[in-house]
Formats: sequence, C-alpha cells, structure tokens
Amino acid sequence: MQGPLIDTLARYGVSRRSFLKYCATLASMMALPPSAGRAMAEAMAAAPAAAKRPSVIWLPFQECTGCTESITRSHSPSIEGMIFDMVSLDYQETLMAAAGHQAEEALHNAMKENEGKYLLIVDGSVPLGLDGAYSCIAGKSNLEALKEVAKGAAAIVAMGSCAAYGGIPKANPNPTGAVSVSDVIKDKPIINIPGCPPIPVVMTGVLAHFLTFGSLPEMDKLGRPKAFYGETIHDRCYRRPFYDQGKFAKTFDDEGARKGWCLFELGCKGPVTYNACATVKWNGGTSWPVESGHGCLGCSEPDFWDGGGFYKALSMPADPLKVVAGAVAVGAAAGVAVSFANRAKKSGAKGGHETTTLADLEK
Amino acid sequence: MSLADIPVIQGVASSLTGNAPILLREIAEHLRRLLDCGETAAIDLQALPLTPADRAWLRERLGNGEIRVALEAEGQSTLEETGCQGVWWVTHHNEKGAVVSEFIETAFVPELVKAHPDDVQSGLEHLELLISDLC
Repeated sequence: MQGPLIDTLARYGVSRRSFLKYCATLASMMALPPSAGRAMAEAMAAAPAAAKRPSVIWLPFQECTGCTESITRSHSPSIEGMIFDMVSLDYQETLMAAAGHQAEEALHNAMKENEGKYLLIVDGSVPLGLDGAYSCIAGKSNLEALKEVAKGAAAIVAMGSCAAYGGIPKANPNPTGAVSVSDVIKDKPIINIPGCPPIPVVMTGVLAHFLTFGSLPEMDKLGRPKAFYGETIHDRCYRRPFYDQGKFAKTFDDEGARKGWCLFELGCKGPVTYNACATVKWNGGTSWPVESGHGCLGCSEPDFWDGGGFYKALSMPADPLKVVAGAVAVGAAAGVAVSFANRAKKSGAKGGHETTTLADLEK
Repeated sequence: MSLADIPVIQGVASSLTGNAPILLREIAEHLRRLLDCGETAAIDLQALPLTPADRAWLRERLGNGEIRVALEAEGQSTLEETGCQGVWWVTHHNEKGAVVSEFIETAFVPELVKAHPDDVQSGLEHLELLISDLC
C-alpha cells in the first residue's frame, strides 16, 4: 500500500497506521465488511495525484445551512480535512472569503475553466412558484442558476433532504412550489445524500469515492449511496434485541423507557428509514437519537414531515378516516367513541397521577 | 442537581440478549480457517445488535491473554490478545477518547501491528542519517 496520498499524509504527520485505522473505521461506518477497510485504504492511497485538484462548486438554495454546519463538523478533522484538501472548493457562499461580484466571478471562472469536469454540490430545494421568485441569488432564480451550473457539471451531489427530495420547504402545503434537484435536472448523474442534516462521513465517503474512482458510488433506487443507506436504522439498532423479544417502552418515562427498550410504539421510524446513524452516531460518535431515548424521525426518507406524526407507531394508520371511503361513517362513529374513551382516560390519569401517553395527547 | 438525582436506571447495560454466545461459534470457525489456510478475519462489533452487557459477557468469556498493544495514532487504539491465542480484541478511539470502531480479529499478528516495508525503509534512512552525524 503506497501512493501519493500516503506521501501527502506523511508530510502532514499522519502515519500509515493512522490511515489504516481511519479506513477500518470508515468501512465499519459504511456498513461494509471489515476486509473492505484495507481494500479502500489501498485504492485511496493508490489514487493518482492529479496535477490539478478537481473543482467543486457548492450552490445553496432553499436551505437552513444545517448541512454545511454538519459537514464542517466532521469528527476526524485531520484525515477528513485532508480529503477535502484534495478538492478545490471554488464557490461556497458560507465558507468563501469573496462576496458580491467577486464571488460571482469565482463561480463563472470555475465553470469555464473546468467545463464538463467539476462536481456540483447542491443543498436546499428549488422553488418553482412565482417563476422561482421565492429564492434568488445575484438576481437569478435558483431554477435558472441550477440549470446553468448543472450544464457543465460531471456529476451532481444533492446534499440533505431538501436537495434530495424537496425537504421541509416541500412540506404540505408547499407554499413555494419546492422540488428536488432530480425533479429539475434529468441528464446528469445525481447522487442523493439525504438526512436533516446528513451524516458528515457520508459526504467524505462519497468524495473519497469520486476522487478515487472518478465516478459516483453504487446507489439504491432513491439515488442514495448503498454503502451508507443499505440497511435500516432498525436493522443495526442496539435496541433491536428488545424489539425481537417484544419489549417496548410505552411512554417516555415508564420502566421500559428507563431500561432502554425498543421505541417502536413511541413512533420510532427506524424500521422504514435507511441511514447509518445507528453505527456512525453523531457529535463525534457520542450518541444518536435512539440512544438518547427518542425514536428515529426518518429524516433521510422522502416526505418524512408529512408521515402522520413523529409519535405515532408505524403500525398505526397515518389517517385512518381516509383509508377507505366506505368506512368513513363507521370510522367517524368509532372516532367519537375513541375520543370519549381518551377524554375519560386523560381525566382518569390526572386524578390517579397516571402517565398519559403521547398517543392520548394526539387524539 | 447532579445526574445521580435523575431517577433513570441504565438498564441496557445489564440486559443480555443472547446474541453473544453465537459469536463464540463464529470466532471458532475463523480460528479453524486461520489454522488451516492462514486466512485472517475480523468481526465488526458495531455492526451487530449487542448491548454493553453482551460485549462485557463476550470480553469476559474470551479472557485476557499475554499481549496488549497500544497504538497512538489519531487517538489511542488497543489490540489485546484474548485468553484464546490468535483472537484479538481491537478497539479504536478518536482523539477525544470515544470508541470509533471495535473488532474481534483472528490473526497470528494483527495487520496493523506489522511495520510496512516502505516505513522500514524510511526508518533505515533515518538511522543512516544518525550514523553519518556521528562522524
């Protein structure tokens, strides 16, 4: 295992063993078999040193900058920083020193000089309403900017759930007519890195793959890299054994919750959410939502905000009264009965100092 | 108010799920393959649904061996031979001390411990420089 990357790392004082350790951990995070760590180290180390660093243009649209916040706080700054050093980030509004006309000039120079070769990263959704007037940069709508910059891109990375699926801006009733990048651009390879925000190491992994092989990694049917989104949160959850044993927390403060049982009945979306939180964790490997006692919201899946309630168990229909038109009358009658029963339970709970569940509160 | 005042019982740590004993058989199979054809293997512990109690159970059963290697590279890593020779418990920490990955490796010597010929070459060059400074 030798190559320009190892030499570069050595110059920065990063040893071969550090790099091997990093790759072993990256493979573990990517849910790859342990042997893949070594293979990845070899491939990355052998990548030819490009005479010129590949150009990256990062466009922000309807977004909250949470994705940038997440990426700039990756957990292993020395080595991951090195991988970012291997690209030339020519336009990123939050991070660049230039502003106004100089920033626009940097964008257009990068586009002209690297035509057909640059990587375009987009975070945020694209509003189509009012001819795109809801979000403009330098007098241009996001729609215009995306079409213009995408034309010369080698590939596009849709960072975060907004760019990948439309995100929060697209939430019902979608006032700005927000759509995803892939709804607008049809003739370029696009990879989705959803999450609200996405996990930093996923970005590094995709970048490493693009630098090593010059192409995007293998994707699933929603355009996500399989290495990170290949398995559900549920499949890799450390609380999974309790699900298998039928041990569930029923409220956030009952015995089950304290013993760390499965959060399925409290609305955890782990079983239908493909992401790597359960293995990669957050905040430098400190913890992740389920470990801190809250179910998964499913933020890396399309339309997660319109899924019918974060605290409704997956086994409960999102909107029972709309399921079958013929059942509406029966459903309504049952609904009244349930609502009475719940009201009784609520006051009963108050009197007896019993715990009220979230399901009670939502009815 | 301290953390101890919050009445939360960390029950996970004390619950065995029954997933650990199965791993013993898998490790045995890996060891057989190491003996038969020299093939090394690794089990990624973070990829498996194990509670802290399961890990503790496994660690205790495997026992402690004679060798413990500490590696200082972007945070500490420990490579410990367990009571079963050829079975290594490998833990990688980051600079802040948090565990970033954990493996059970079956090998005569874990790959990470061996020095790479290129690194030995630069070691030799450094040594030659030291010797030339003596004269």
